[in-house]
Amino acid sequence: MTGLLSAANEAEALELLHDSGCTDGLPVVIPAPDRVARLVLASGLDADIDLGAMGPGGGSTTIEKVATNAVMAGCVPDHMPVVVAAMRAMLQTEFDLGEMQSTTHCTAPLMIVNGPVVEHCGIAGGFGALGPGHRANASIGRAVRLCMMNIGDARPGVSDMALLGQPGKFSFCLAEAERSSPWGSLSESLGYGADESVVTILGAEAPHSVLFQNDGDDPDSPARLLRALAAGIANTGSNNANFSGGSVAVALNPEHAQVFGDAGMSRRYVQAELHRLAVNTRGHIRSLNTGFVPVGAADDLIPAVRRPDDIVVFISGGSGLYSAVFPSWAAGAHRNTIVHERVATGAACDLPWVIG
Amino acid sequence: MRDGIEVARRGGAAVALVTEVFWPQGDSVAASAGMPDIPRLRLPHPVAGSGEAAMGDVAKSIAARVVAVLRGAASPDNVSQGIR
Repeated sequence: MTGLLSAANEAEALELLHDSGCTDGLPVVIPAPDRVARLVLASGLDADIDLGAMGPGGGSTTIEKVATNAVMAGCVPDHMPVVVAAMRAMLQTEFDLGEMQSTTHCTAPLMIVNGPVVEHCGIAGGFGALGPGHRANASIGRAVRLCMMNIGDARPGVSDMALLGQPGKFSFCLAEAERSSPWGSLSESLGYGADESVVTILGAEAPHSVLFQNDGDDPDSPARLLRALAAGIANTGSNNANFSGGSVAVALNPEHAQVFGDAGMSRRYVQAELHRLAVNTRGHIRSLNTGFVPVGAADDLIPAVRRPDDIVVFISGGSGLYSAVFPSWAAGAHRNTIVHERVATGAACDLPWVIG
Repeated sequence: MRDGIEVARRGGAAVALVTEVFWPQGDSVAASAGMPDIPRLRLPHPVAGSGEAAMGDVAKSIAARVVAVLRGAASPDNVSQGIR
């Protein structure tokens, strides 16, 4: 077992954890051994299983450490398989987690959850899905962040060099509103079965709101929605626009998703059109930043992302006027690759479903 | 910082150039890489984007010390200032 701290009572223990730099600045649940053991059990894995070294500090991501941080974040046992899946996803080499944690950019891992685990854990994908007010979203996302700080050793101004940070660095987890999707789920589009639970993660900025009012009498309305979203993706303040790469997430509210669905536009078509439309001229970008897009013909079109698959289109939030675009850091060796991982439940991990 | 660590791991003489603002991160990266004493020299901040002339001035001011540290003839800032 990892070394234990001692304190006379929970209040003193909380101050000890704050003073040790182990919290995100908010109060945490004290990770007493019995609480940690309960979440280790819920993972269905041995405490000393090491999921990998987490940068930038290189700490070993053992199940016990993950459970400890999950307790601190307020997770219940049912949340644990989701947190473990997120850890497995983020520790994939392609995610460049160590570099991402060290950057001056405000990137944070945006977790999109699909499948039966969403309902089981109560992960919100509707109104206010990114919070506040949804326990599972807040606790699972927070557990991931505390792992990043306490296992990866990401400390603001020392090893996490985000110049300003962003609220999503506290917690950044939501579900896809699959029942509102005209296309099936995001995870199915990634090749998973409808009965599988999956966590999809990309490094993302805070959501940028995209306003769009549909007009059922206007046959151009779906194309206008595409253009509105593409303008958000091509935002010239973003790294994507300047680096011409990386990934982007687009959270369509159900009403906007229905606009595309009613027009017969598939998810893949929407991705392809957003890729085609999210461009700036070389001259425009260089009128703002000269250091990233090379010199060339001023009217060249510079795409904000390289491939349609670099745009994660999913449905989340309440119905209404606003969807959202999440630009990304777009840097690191793999330029902010999208990662995903199956949540081990059911036959692979029966216990979480029977623990209260 | 990581470039310097990679060079040092391959047996080459290395000195990492770290700007003032990122000095604590340099310490952190060096420690996490298991090379807390890798030589580092402190630069003013910012260097990037300060313009060719200003960057040239920084280069002129530091070049001789870089060479001296690489040759082992001078102490890097993390040693001379007692910072590990």
